[in-house]
Amino acid sequence: MDNKILLTIDERELEAKPGQTILEVAKEAGIYIPTLCYHPGTTNVGACRVCVVEVEGARTLVASCCMPVSPGMVVKTDTERVLDARKLVVELLWASGDHNCLTCESNGNCELQDLVYKLKIEEPRFKIEPPRYEVEDTNSMIQKDMNKCILCGRCVRVCNEIQVNEILDFSMRGSHARVGPAFDADYIDSECYFCGECVDVCPVGALTFKQARFEGRPWETEKVRTTCTYCGVGCQLDLNVLNGKIVKVTGNSEYGEPNQGSLCVKGRFGMDFVNHQDRLTTPLIRKNGELKEATWDEAYDFITEKIAAIKRENGADSIAGFSSARCTNEENYLFQKFMRAVIGTNNVDHCARL
Amino acid sequence: MKVFRSHLLLCGGTGCHATGSLEVKKVLLAELDKRGLSDEIKVVETGCNGFCAMGPIMVVYPEGIVYMLIKPEDIPELVEEHLIKGRLLERLLYKEPVTEEVIPTMQEIPFFAHQELRVLRNRGLIDPEKIDEYIARDGYAGMAKALTEMTPEEIVKTVLDSGLRGRGGAGFPAGLKWQFAAGSKGDVKYVLCNADEGDPGAFMDRSVLEADPHAVLEGMVIAARAIGSHYGYIYCRAEYPLAIQRLNIAIDQAKEYGLLGENILDTGFNFDLEVYQGAGAFVCGEETALMTSIEGRRGMPRPRPPFPAISGLWQKPSILNNVETLANIGQIILNGSEWYAGIGTERSKGTKVFALTGNVNNVGLVEVPMGTTLGTIVSDIGGGIPKGKKFKAVQLGGPSGGMLPVQHLNAGIDYETVAELGAIMGSGGMIVMNEDMCPVDMARFFMDFCQDESCGKCTPCREGTKRMLEILTNICEGRGQEGDIELLEDMADTIKDSALCGLGQTAPNPVLSTIRYFRDEYEAHIKDKRCPAAVCTALFKSPCQHTCPVEMDIPSYIALIQAERFEDAYKLLLRTNPFPAVCGRVCDHKCQSKCRRETLDEPIAIKFLKRFIADNASRPGVDAVPVTRKEKIAVIGAGPAGLTVARDLAIRGYKVVVFEELPEAGGMLRYGIPAYRLPRNILAGEIDDISALGVEIRCNTRVGRDIPFEKINEEFDYVYLASGAHKSQKMGVEGEDIDGVFGGVEFLRDFNINEEAWLSGEKTLGSRVSVIGGGNSAIDAARCAARLGADVTILYRRLRQDMPAAEEEIEAAEHEGIKIEYLVAPTNISGENGKVSGITCQRMKLGDFDRSGRKRPVPIEGSDFTLSVDAVIAAIGQTPDVSFVPEDSGVSINKWSCFDLADGSKSQTTDAGFFAGGDAVTGPDTVIEAIAAGHQAAQDIDQTIRDKNGEPPYETPPEEKIDIPLMIEEETEERPQARMPELDALSRKNNLIEVELGFSKEEAIKEAIRCLRCDAEI
Repeated sequence: MDNKILLTIDERELEAKPGQTILEVAKEAGIYIPTLCYHPGTTNVGACRVCVVEVEGARTLVASCCMPVSPGMVVKTDTERVLDARKLVVELLWASGDHNCLTCESNGNCELQDLVYKLKIEEPRFKIEPPRYEVEDTNSMIQKDMNKCILCGRCVRVCNEIQVNEILDFSMRGSHARVGPAFDADYIDSECYFCGECVDVCPVGALTFKQARFEGRPWETEKVRTTCTYCGVGCQLDLNVLNGKIVKVTGNSEYGEPNQGSLCVKGRFGMDFVNHQDRLTTPLIRKNGELKEATWDEAYDFITEKIAAIKRENGADSIAGFSSARCTNEENYLFQKFMRAVIGTNNVDHCARL
Repeated sequence: MKVFRSHLLLCGGTGCHATGSLEVKKVLLAELDKRGLSDEIKVVETGCNGFCAMGPIMVVYPEGIVYMLIKPEDIPELVEEHLIKGRLLERLLYKEPVTEEVIPTMQEIPFFAHQELRVLRNRGLIDPEKIDEYIARDGYAGMAKALTEMTPEEIVKTVLDSGLRGRGGAGFPAGLKWQFAAGSKGDVKYVLCNADEGDPGAFMDRSVLEADPHAVLEGMVIAARAIGSHYGYIYCRAEYPLAIQRLNIAIDQAKEYGLLGENILDTGFNFDLEVYQGAGAFVCGEETALMTSIEGRRGMPRPRPPFPAISGLWQKPSILNNVETLANIGQIILNGSEWYAGIGTERSKGTKVFALTGNVNNVGLVEVPMGTTLGTIVSDIGGGIPKGKKFKAVQLGGPSGGMLPVQHLNAGIDYETVAELGAIMGSGGMIVMNEDMCPVDMARFFMDFCQDESCGKCTPCREGTKRMLEILTNICEGRGQEGDIELLEDMADTIKDSALCGLGQTAPNPVLSTIRYFRDEYEAHIKDKRCPAAVCTALFKSPCQHTCPVEMDIPSYIALIQAERFEDAYKLLLRTNPFPAVCGRVCDHKCQSKCRRETLDEPIAIKFLKRFIADNASRPGVDAVPVTRKEKIAVIGAGPAGLTVARDLAIRGYKVVVFEELPEAGGMLRYGIPAYRLPRNILAGEIDDISALGVEIRCNTRVGRDIPFEKINEEFDYVYLASGAHKSQKMGVEGEDIDGVFGGVEFLRDFNINEEAWLSGEKTLGSRVSVIGGGNSAIDAARCAARLGADVTILYRRLRQDMPAAEEEIEAAEHEGIKIEYLVAPTNISGENGKVSGITCQRMKLGDFDRSGRKRPVPIEGSDFTLSVDAVIAAIGQTPDVSFVPEDSGVSINKWSCFDLADGSKSQTTDAGFFAGGDAVTGPDTVIEAIAAGHQAAQDIDQTIRDKNGEPPYETPPEEKIDIPLMIEEETEERPQARMPELDALSRKNNLIEVELGFSKEEAIKEAIRCLRCDAEI
């Protein structure tokens, strides 16, 4: 099926594929439509209403993230009516909670903050609500501050539709609605696996990485792409690094396979070992029953010497190799090659086989 | 089949169950058994009869006699009288609320007579738990026709052609919905019935389900056939247990009869369904939320498209119709689309069921053709507003709807008209509201409901409704600000435009509609911090005080009566009102109309208690106030407005001179109101107190005649114009200038000036007098004429309940032998020898509604009749006489001959040196309004002077502190208002002795104890 749909957005004639939404077509054409609840790869819910646009003939404004294009559709994205609605939505969201950028961990990485600025809102026409929820601080990984939540539902959808952990959902109604595990339990008391996907997609500062608190602003940190060291899947991730220290780990869907930006608890929260005080940073060699620091050259020489001696005395098959799932496939390949070609034995195995 | 001589159809709807019909049924069965009548007389428990206000309700067939408000203890007498002796038990029959006429049969009771039953055709006639009874009334015949004689296309076409529109609220053509779903590809499709009725005040669907569940099942099978579905759900809220129970019984019975399930009627068509119980979320009435809920998930709406006809329940093509829509289907198929479209309006066909509730006499279920006027529903079917209160508006469409106020009583209710007027049809909840409804509070209530029921998914609904509620609450509690109305309108427009589902898109409707029709009340809340309906308690101490134009501290003086501190009470009266003894006699006591005691029994007799104080406490002495200010003020007219200004300004140290054309001061109090209502000495006493302050009153001085207008303008710094409205309006009929035809106020003035001449017979009206009009002046004139021995007839063009005169005055006139002819209007006055001899009148009937909410009198052609009369008094209204003001004065006068006020001022005229108030500004109004106008003007004049002089505002000198005791009855028992003792009617002839005698001390204290002390802060 390659029948094309012709439509007009902001007086530009555009081509679209059937099934595409107005938002998708506009994005492709470089036409800016703000979004908050929209998250690719999950159901389009049309909840936040900042992406509303005017469609000729429609009774009301329509959410561009949900509205499939149709032939001859005439869309306007920046009329006064549209801007008024967006502005009201953003004002309402701003006033609904404790959006205090001074101390917010998401300052500089907040979509609400960006929208307030973009829509040139000096201050909301409504009284800003005093905080009404206690900040959830009962686990070491995720900090949950419902006072900053804008109920976009991205966390709920990634939890249910991408990770399929089915931990998060909405509870209560209307302005009392909130997000959380069943029975409004804390994360730690729920069945949560702490994949951190919810934190990663939160557009504001409602869900943040606790380890990253006060460790560095987004504009100070550098994102370093790497492969997760925990297992052999090879998940791609970004280490957010400040002064050589890992502040937090974020997914990046642009890296695509194998993980499309998703991570598990280890890759997400297990990287603190890198800067851990107990981590070994130099090789140790036991001398006279005591471990002594050594240089890499000393260490390699020591290993070579010992293995060569064993092989010489007892034959290659007296040596076995055991490699780790935390190494990459390439490293594992090299390892078995080393065992077979260099040492000369087939005694090689891998922890994941156990 | 067993034959009974009588069937007793006892209503078993939820309403009647609540009022005790189950117990009545038990006692009835036992009584019949006891008397050996069980084989002759059959008791049938039916579904809702519709007239819920009158439950428990029972119809006796074959006679068709309907008994109402039956209690178990009535049963023995009812059985004895009606079923054994064959006599009607009158006390349980319907009584018309206004005329008190007893109407025994259902079809003649106006509530039923104006209805057209289609959806409710079986109500009160069948036992909803017996399928045979439904079948006997053509039940399932439509379904049989659809399954055996029609193709699915023909079914869809019939429904399309019938013009049936969705009765759930939006009014989308049902046939079109079916057509879309029929055209959707798929082997699994669903037929869904929306029985999640959740609007406050709506109970149509519930009644249909309880009274006629098979009608809904029949409609669903036909729908299933039309779209090719084999399974359906009825989504019914769990709060409707009786409906669910009867539905399940109906489903079982239908399956047993082969009318549901596999191979229906041996046609090979299968359709099964089940009842899904909703947990009672309002949002689940929205179709996508309802489907999500059936799927077992949190009931939240999802965006459309895809529309349910393409992808609905479990992503399968589905149709969702409301109970009432489906209940119409069987009849449409059976009788054809033309039959259905035969009634209604151009674009809204058939009937609509309304749940009529609120401040209306006949609460119940009403089915009328589309296009029936609002007035017919409220007034004819609904029986009008209880307790003689005024109709203010109906809320149509529940919290998503809007108000239709009094000016739209003639609107024919259909989808288009209702939308145009800013409401929605909704599912048909119609809440009638009387004058005690505050539109701001009502908007707040509905917004509270919506924000509570919002699912929380989309921002405009979740946060927007909360903020609108916040603003409305602020306005109701006196924290409203300039700009709030505009902000509300702004938000409302945007929320309607941007919310995800119908709930959010319609939630602002009540706000927009109340702003549209009652903007002045919003402004009163915001600018004046007043709630005109006296509902928003944060704005006042007590409703009575808030309603009084001069805000008399009513609860406090009533408390002081209770404490027998009458002197203190008198001092309190005088703080706000210079004429308490007058007002205690002739005030129109708006305060009493808002008295909360009325909700229990009757309002407190506030007026009479005020009179009691003024009559029984010694009057505080008054000393002259020295003139301390250089500005001099002239007041033209010594009526209540003029005298109040004079008094207030004298107290502030001004020299005030009052000019009065007539021989004595008092204005209408002296020359309009007869002495039997307001004895001269009472009035004189209060005027003397004003003179004693130093106010100079120059009587017999008409400005422009006895003293030039210009001279006053020169001599005084400011002038207050309070010349009243002392000229009668003309009737505009031929012969009204003949001798013997009087204007109402002219006659009263003459009578009050020349009392002795009239009473001695020196002046006479003759023996037959006709008085035209229905206001207080008409009654005053009639009662004066009656005192002169004349045979008096009042001719009024509307009905008694429409008369503007005080009810107690009308009653007093009747006691005095005055006849009142309603629905007549004069057309001609004839004379003999230059003197009036006859008045020709035309009978009137009532037509549509005017802007006052009363039915307009329309002449009946050929109904003319002539009365022989010796005098005619035309008291149909008054206008001011402002001819003393020169045209070039700069004081502008409007088309009603009243003084215009400057923009934004409450008392200043268009010439800054002249202020005005009382009837000369408002047209004929009450004493207390004139006093209020006087207070206002005094404040404004003083403030103007001080502003000009650069002085600080006047500060009221400290007042003596009067402690107000708080004594409240331990238990409040029902006890009506104390009656005012009166001179008996025979003793009133040929004299002007005061008719109302006043409360004794005991009566006054006893009455004072009735006060609920709404002012108390506990």
